[in-house]
Amino acid sequence: MLTGAERTAAELERTRAVLQADTAAVLLLDFSSGELIATAAAGLEEEVRQGVRIPVGRGFAGRIAAQHQPVILDHVDHSTVLNPILLAKGIRTLMGVPLIAGGKVIGVLHVGSLTPREFTSDDVELLQLAADRAATAVHSLMAQDDRIAAQALQRSLLPSALPVADGAEMAVRYVPGEGVVGGDWYDVFTLPSGHLGIVVGDVTGSGLQAAVIMGRMRSALRAYALDTCDPAEVLCRLDRKMQHFEPGALATVAYAVLDPGLDRARICSAGHYPPVIASPGRPARLADLPSGLLIGAAPGAERPVATIDISPGTVMCFYTDGLIERRDRPIDHRLALLCQAVTAQPPDAACATVMAALVGSQPAHDDTAVLIFRRKPLGTR
Amino acid sequence: MSVEGFELRRIGQHGVVTVPAEVDITNTDEVRQALLSVVSQDVPVLIIDMSRTTFCDSTGVQAIIATYRQTAATGTELRLVATTMLRILTFIGVDQLIPIYPDLNAALTAGA
Repeated sequence: MLTGAERTAAELERTRAVLQADTAAVLLLDFSSGELIATAAAGLEEEVRQGVRIPVGRGFAGRIAAQHQPVILDHVDHSTVLNPILLAKGIRTLMGVPLIAGGKVIGVLHVGSLTPREFTSDDVELLQLAADRAATAVHSLMAQDDRIAAQALQRSLLPSALPVADGAEMAVRYVPGEGVVGGDWYDVFTLPSGHLGIVVGDVTGSGLQAAVIMGRMRSALRAYALDTCDPAEVLCRLDRKMQHFEPGALATVAYAVLDPGLDRARICSAGHYPPVIASPGRPARLADLPSGLLIGAAPGAERPVATIDISPGTVMCFYTDGLIERRDRPIDHRLALLCQAVTAQPPDAACATVMAALVGSQPAHDDTAVLIFRRKPLGTR
Repeated sequence: MSVEGFELRRIGQHGVVTVPAEVDITNTDEVRQALLSVVSQDVPVLIIDMSRTTFCDSTGVQAIIATYRQTAATGTELRLVATTMLRILTFIGVDQLIPIYPDLNAALTAGA
């Protein structure tokens, strides 16, 4: 970010020189708070150092962002600006333009003069040119930062090693989508009672925000899992927590709780695709799982639970929609393809077979997560 | 609306929004706006017609849920028409929130 900031500072210095202005500043829109935050400045560094924030719609910069239009202020006083630093600095005239990227306002660029001065329409045009250049640079920088942060976050949240549970074998595949990182996650943990929890989820949306919500959901689910071995109860609490603290966020989650002997799984799905079950010598099938509403959609959703017997050697394949949703293929075809690919073999080999059959060499648009569990066959160690 | 495959009309007491064949991040904002604009027009029933839709990513689902929330607040009755999308909408449990019909006629005459 430093190099980005330095580049912006150099751009600002150039803008100030070209327009023969005394000050220049960039404020960027913080989408979560709806405020413009001073990010870079020349001749007005205190704005950045003091962390000036201007609500969109208010003051000089706020008006520019709200109207998507250049604004010239001939008289800088309490009635026209919100930021006391502009007044204290003795700025007499201000001219500002919006930073627009992808059709949306992402910030404001303004220059000021300490002596009375009339900014011309040529000046406005020059400033807008500088703003357009800055907007493109800032936008790609932000997108890049977002992507790097989301990837780092996701890497830190996905378990680096799956827990060791007696009689269980597991393997995973996780492939981020092309260009975007989403909110897919998987998690496996043992509980104090000896039960084994398996989670696969997918937060709607992409980028840093989805990854952040995914992280919160993952830890909330773990916390509730410590309190009860009932998967429905855990998802009910998770749903309530999400609706209260992350209104608007949506996610699908499948949560399976396996008995300590691994001979039975209770599975609850909140809008998530059911796992595929394959027992030795039998064709694989989609688990017969009643669907529950996805997390975050509406209060009080029912959370039905299915109980599935797991004989020795049985494989369960959990996955996210990135594995099966394709624009040009009906979902049932893809699910059938998945059922053909899942066989009761060791999990790592089963993962490889599934990825080869469903992904092949096609780049995936969406995140893809696959987690395969197998109850060890009798007589193996 | 100027978006391709996109239609907003009124049939009797019903506002009908026809959703394009594919809904993804490139057009989901338009879909959401169209749906919410109908809710704000104070129609008693809003029908989301997805009978032509063959692909709808999670942002499209978000738009539908946002519309559901809005209709729950305004008291508008919401109905969905889905064919290809029915399976996915059922997996994610949307059928538990919004009644889904196999064609527009069934949605128009439901409850009549």
